[in-house]
Amino acid sequence: MKRQNVPQLLGALIVAFFVAFPFVYTGGNYDYIMHICIIGFFYAILASSWSMLAGYAGQFSFGHMAFMGLGAYTTALFCHYFFISPEPTGICTEFAIGGQYLIVKNPIGVTSTTLTQDCLAQAMEKWNGTVEVTRMPVWLGIILGTIVGGIFGLLIGLLVLRLRAAYLALFTLGFSEILRATISAEIQITRGQAGLELPSLFENGITIAGHFFSKTDKIPPYFVMFFLLLGCLAVLYWLSQSRFGLFVRALREDQDAAAALGVNTTRYKVLVFVVTSSMAALAGTVYGHYVTIITPNNLMILQMSLVVAMAVIAGVENFIAAAIGAILIEFMLEMLRTSFSIGGVTVDMTLWRLVFFGVLLMLTLRFARNGLLVPVIDFFTRGHVAAETVALRAAQSGRGSDDPAEAASQETRT
Amino acid sequence: MIELSVSRLNKRFGGNHVLKDVSFEINGAEMIGLIGPNGAGKTTLTNVLDGAVKPNSGTVYLNGTRIDQLPSFEVAKAGLGRTFQVTRSFRRMTVLENLYVPALAQGRSHKGKEVREEALEVLDFLTMAHLRNEYARALSGGQQKLLELGRLLMLDPDVIILDEPFAGVHPKLMEVIYEYIRRVNGRGKAMIIISHQMDSIFALCKRLLVLNYGDLIADDTPDNVKNDPVVIEAYLGTTEDRSGTGQDDDETR
Repeated sequence: MKRQNVPQLLGALIVAFFVAFPFVYTGGNYDYIMHICIIGFFYAILASSWSMLAGYAGQFSFGHMAFMGLGAYTTALFCHYFFISPEPTGICTEFAIGGQYLIVKNPIGVTSTTLTQDCLAQAMEKWNGTVEVTRMPVWLGIILGTIVGGIFGLLIGLLVLRLRAAYLALFTLGFSEILRATISAEIQITRGQAGLELPSLFENGITIAGHFFSKTDKIPPYFVMFFLLLGCLAVLYWLSQSRFGLFVRALREDQDAAAALGVNTTRYKVLVFVVTSSMAALAGTVYGHYVTIITPNNLMILQMSLVVAMAVIAGVENFIAAAIGAILIEFMLEMLRTSFSIGGVTVDMTLWRLVFFGVLLMLTLRFARNGLLVPVIDFFTRGHVAAETVALRAAQSGRGSDDPAEAASQETRT
Repeated sequence: MIELSVSRLNKRFGGNHVLKDVSFEINGAEMIGLIGPNGAGKTTLTNVLDGAVKPNSGTVYLNGTRIDQLPSFEVAKAGLGRTFQVTRSFRRMTVLENLYVPALAQGRSHKGKEVREEALEVLDFLTMAHLRNEYARALSGGQQKLLELGRLLMLDPDVIILDEPFAGVHPKLMEVIYEYIRRVNGRGKAMIIISHQMDSIFALCKRLLVLNYGDLIADDTPDNVKNDPVVIEAYLGTTEDRSGTGQDDDETR
């Protein structure tokens, strides 16, 4: 087997491992370990899509968690406020659609949990169980959330066309904070810091291959998030191998030079924002329906820093490395929660683990700027290049070429 | 036939009037030298022609299409390509990938072997075929200059502007660049060469444009330009001074 094929083989083994894991894992804390995996997959989607944005296209955005939040809040608001009823309530905003009524519940803020004050709750009290109101399907919320994430990605992409480096980072940071502050402030609609509850991914459970899984079972969301990750990685791989991947990397290297060679830099800069923000929003919608609550804290800069650190530690210029790194780091952070004592002094690792994480990030940036995993992948995929260059050079010399480029290179190497 | 028509171009940066009513035409596969002292406006003229900078007034037509208000990528597609004074290769991309960018930007398919074979031919001509899979950052400065020229071959524009192609280049590489220029010009491409290396300019070009602080002070044959007192006063100086190989530093304008 060629050395270049080793990463593919390892990739297949990793996929096989995660497919089998829920069925073969027999250690303790099954639900907890499964939860870490699901969250790891979630961060892997965010880190790999951010890697495409920042590592491939050079658009160092701090708005990725904001797009995640947009997706999650879109589906949360959709599922919270929109219902289908066979009867009109007479007091809610409602639209007749093919014999059914689309009910839009009135926002009443955190007090809506009492289920006595919003218009739909009042109507249901009046109906006394004679009318069955249906929630909007979760999958529709997921689609809507993804679309909204993409639309905002388009808008932000258009707004940051002329911004580069630190200005782009500050702009997207500003966008993220404005969104978080708006969600926190609009208590009537979003319930502010109390957060919005979402229906579970499989609210009524799901039967797969004759086996019923309740809505609290971990296996269905595990595979939803895992296959979502695989799907996102497949799309990212396809993009990276297409002219899109080539052009966004050229954009990263030198926007003006790329434009001078005929690359529509505006189009690709906007496109990369749309694609990656849609992925972040999609991950956010599924995450929201998995944890069943979304709060403005999910959009905090600390969360964004976590995604950035995951990608950077593993290697920001390779989305596969970023994804693997995110899963490993998520596990590492959880495993580091165990506090311990040294000479009678208790070290509270729930706090110190972040210090450890920060030190790892600093050391990576100082000593391995390509990340810790990318050099390993490069060893397999590009390890042969130097020998190939030497062999081609020898063959060229054998043909009698005087090779002025090579002859001069030693004197002009920069 | 290639036609580039530049008419009364003006460009100001604040109070600095960098291009003042610059007009000239190119008809056919001409080889033109663009010379002038530092700050003359040579790079600004290049940036205006390639769409990176919009002029305050004036027009540029390439083969009947007005290009002065087009973005750079459309100017490239219209048929005008350029290199940069300070080499701007895509350093974290391989040599082959650098060559694929202009080819695919023209809408050519990346799936067949055609683009790869053409890129390998270009590299062979530039004596860099063995470096095909190396990252551009691994190349020497001279090799990166050749790579930039190779990208233009893949773009295949009608008009090529080479900004300081000989600056900091080893004499052996210079031979490759000379050969490149002659070969591309021989394919019917018009070329504008910006350089302070007068020997090279006089050896290659049959027409010279001389810019001096935004004014086009001469548009003539090399022999006439050499003896033009205005040009001598503004730029060339005495015969003894002409063999210098000065470096331009107005790239960032």
